[in-house]
Amino acid sequence: MFLALKEMSRAKTRFGLLVAAIALLVFLILFQQSLQNGLITGFVGAIRNQNAPVLVYSVDGQRVIQGSIITPDLEAEVRDVDGLGTVGRLGQGTFTATSTTSSGDSLDATILGYELGDDGQGLGAPSELVDGRYPSGELEAVGSTGGDDAFAVGDTVVLQPGGFEIEIVGVADDIQLNVSPTLFVSYSTWSDAVQSVNPDAGEPLPNVMVAAPAEGVTADQLVTDINDRSLDLDALTRDDAASETPGVAQVQQSFQLIFLLYGLVVPCVTGLFFLIVTLQKADALTLLRAIGAPAKRLVASLLIQVVLMIGGGLVIGTALYFPLTVTGLGGLELRFETGAVLFWSILLLTLGVASSLVAARRVLRIDPIEATTGAGVGA
Amino acid sequence: MNALELTDVRKVYTMGDGSDVVALDRSNLTVAEDEIIALVGPSGSGKTTLCSMAGGILSPTEGRIVVAGEDISDYGDKELTKFRQESIGFVFQSVNLVPFLNAKENLTVVDELGARTGKEAQRRADDLLGELGLGDRKQNMPSQLSGGQRQRVAIGRALMNDPKLVLFDEPTSSLDTELGEQVMELIRTEMKRRGTAAIVVTHDERITEFCDRSVHIVDGRLES
Ligand SMILES: Nc1ncnc2c1ncn2[C@@H]1O[C@H](COP(=O)(O)OP(=O)(O)OP(=O)(O)O)[C@@H](O)[C@H]1O
Ligand SMILES: [Mg+2]
Repeated sequence: MFLALKEMSRAKTRFGLLVAAIALLVFLILFQQSLQNGLITGFVGAIRNQNAPVLVYSVDGQRVIQGSIITPDLEAEVRDVDGLGTVGRLGQGTFTATSTTSSGDSLDATILGYELGDDGQGLGAPSELVDGRYPSGELEAVGSTGGDDAFAVGDTVVLQPGGFEIEIVGVADDIQLNVSPTLFVSYSTWSDAVQSVNPDAGEPLPNVMVAAPAEGVTADQLVTDINDRSLDLDALTRDDAASETPGVAQVQQSFQLIFLLYGLVVPCVTGLFFLIVTLQKADALTLLRAIGAPAKRLVASLLIQVVLMIGGGLVIGTALYFPLTVTGLGGLELRFETGAVLFWSILLLTLGVASSLVAARRVLRIDPIEATTGAGVGA
Repeated sequence: MNALELTDVRKVYTMGDGSDVVALDRSNLTVAEDEIIALVGPSGSGKTTLCSMAGGILSPTEGRIVVAGEDISDYGDKELTKFRQESIGFVFQSVNLVPFLNAKENLTVVDELGARTGKEAQRRADDLLGELGLGDRKQNMPSQLSGGQRQRVAIGRALMNDPKLVLFDEPTSSLDTELGEQVMELIRTEMKRRGTAAIVVTHDERITEFCDRSVHIVDGRLES
């Protein structure tokens, strides 16, 4: 401890720069981790955070809710599957709307219609509300929070053209679809809404079926049963439906590549830094070995420094990241990801220590005899 | 008990091309408990090699080395490290101070690496720096000290562990004559005050006046 701390206190700029570099990288990592999660939640939060364990698309919908259409024949097939517990319809549409909160500016809203059931929590309903209540009838909606177009209980949303009005009676976090403000309404309200902007269209067909397995049947089993039933049906569990939505995997892959780069840069920076520092102070280390410092003590001192530097970078990086998760970023809501902070802390500490083993090896290789000639390990 | 007994000590370096360099040939040397010996010889004669073996930095190819009754001839790496830490004081030919530690810390680091007596080491470092005339330079970094002051800090460092034997490898080579003599005077005073044995390596015959006895070395052979 003595040597490690003394050295750092005598070379504050040098060690400070390393902490700053690590802090910056940690900040970028955490920020992008939140960005990734924020983006994906914005894309498919409505799928993830609704209560139906299984979603059934038509095959030609290619796993996009809006592209999928369930004809009455397909619906009959689904309803006939063994192992099915409950089932309902889900309709989706995108509308131009004005809201009382957005001061007259028009917004593109997504509306999802599900069968309310007795308590407004039928299959396809948001899993959890943060304010208000579930719809109990027509023209009522649960709205999404987050972004500039967050809804609040009491808002009225007016669809254009036609002036169809929906009132927000509850709000839920993370229920956006396609990164647009999203409303969950009753199936018939959705159907009416579609016809209000396009009176000639007639009654729309549901886009997907939402289903829950019967008692004793797992969601996976139900998915298999439905898919075996018809080649035109494409059943997916809730999680799969979210992750298989076109675009989600690509976003995840791009971010994973970025994270991989960070995962390499941080240990490289730390490893190189400590290797250079070790080479520069080779004379001092040789002298210490010659006057009786066990090699292990010198390596321990190096590792203490590595852990302190990375630890400092993690603390400062996290402190920089925290305020962003409070304010959010434009239309995206960024969350403080405790899991990500822990994951990256452990990963970066481990990689940092591993990368400094190159420097540690130099320390272990020091031959104290070199103190008598003045040639250190760097020579 | 003698501070050092070398019996038939030999050191041979095998070079890359297979040829042997005999750095020290079958040497016998006894240093009494509180004796100060001058080891005089031309460059390359084996002075540093002899001191390195006596101080447990280098293992002999042959022969026995006994320091204050402790036979270190067959010691391994770890045992030698501990032996250096506890029993030997070194002042090297070139690098002697840790650049990122101040004068006092260059002394207390000896305690940090070993016994860790804390307060006692602080007091001891203060006393030593006082005796060496560095009472007002304790907080100075090595780069803020003159050559003579640095050499005195190194002497203090060598005495911190209360060694059985102190090895000075050309302690005055980087100093002018007057300063060199002052440092030698200091070495003599400190050694005699403690009754500690020392070997002082030098080219310079004048330095030998400060020692009890001179031993000459030529081409790895000791001549008394
Ligand atoms: N590591 C080594 N490998 C090979 N030969 C060595 C090694 N160290 C020393 N020698 C050789 O051993 C001999 C004695 O070297 P040593 O350093 O003991 O001399 P010295 O008397 O201290 O010289 P100086 O007064 O220049 O310091 C020299 O010929 C030197 O070249
Ligand atoms: Mg020498």
